[in-house]
Amino acid sequence: MSRSIKKGPYVHESLLKKVEVMNSKNEKKVVKTWSRSSTILPGFVGHTIAVHDGRKHVPVYITEDMVGHKLGEFAPTRTYKGHGGTERSTSLR
Amino acid sequence: MNTNLITIGKIVAPHGVRGDVRVIALTDFPERFQTMKQVLLDNGQKLDISGVKYHKQDVLMKFRGLDDRNAVEALKGKLLQVTKEELVDLPEGHYYTFDIIGLAVYDEDGQPLGTITDVITTGSNDVYVAEVAGKTPVLIPALKDVVKNIDLPNKRMTVKLQEEWE
Repeated sequence: MSRSIKKGPYVHESLLKKVEVMNSKNEKKVVKTWSRSSTILPGFVGHTIAVHDGRKHVPVYITEDMVGHKLGEFAPTRTYKGHGGTERSTSLR
Repeated sequence: MNTNLITIGKIVAPHGVRGDVRVIALTDFPERFQTMKQVLLDNGQKLDISGVKYHKQDVLMKFRGLDDRNAVEALKGKLLQVTKEELVDLPEGHYYTFDIIGLAVYDEDGQPLGTITDVITTGSNDVYVAEVAGKTPVLIPALKDVVKNIDLPNKRMTVKLQEEWE
């Protein structure tokens, strides 16, 4: 069952407060959070949030197309270390 | 393991009775199979490719001389590999993961932070894991604001870590 529209999206209170403070001061700091169930709001865009994966905080840069998703979707909790030396690439955002 | 060989796929099962095999692509460029004539197996065997089809998320491949299911049954679990010279050329600013792993990481003051041991894919930015023995790993987001320089010939990466909220 989905969350009531009346309540609005869920965001952990302290996380929201920290992002609002950073937005008002126009500064960028990495915020650590354990709240994987928090919804990404438009105000989070451009910030880097370190989301806990159960072991460590994975730094995730928030972009516009991530709004509406949950933070936990971007910090995988399982790591597969199967095939080393594959033709996979990486780039800087 | 030959470090000059790069894995591009894994044969997971035979497909049908005419000698096709189902391959999981372990490459960012699954379309590359269509232009390939030969492929190496992880046991050093060289196979000529006679057909490639795409089915859902998998690649169906057929090899010359292997025309029935029994002939390809033994290939199950084998890795498909190519040499480094055969890799797809990447656009500027893109790097192969195996090139990034093993780079020494330094901050802007030249202080060592560790060696890259893993690349985590998050769905947003990639994250480079820099480890030093006995210390907590440093997670470096692959952002232009953070990673200032990647020097592959000298195996060195320079980063400027972002300030953390206290």
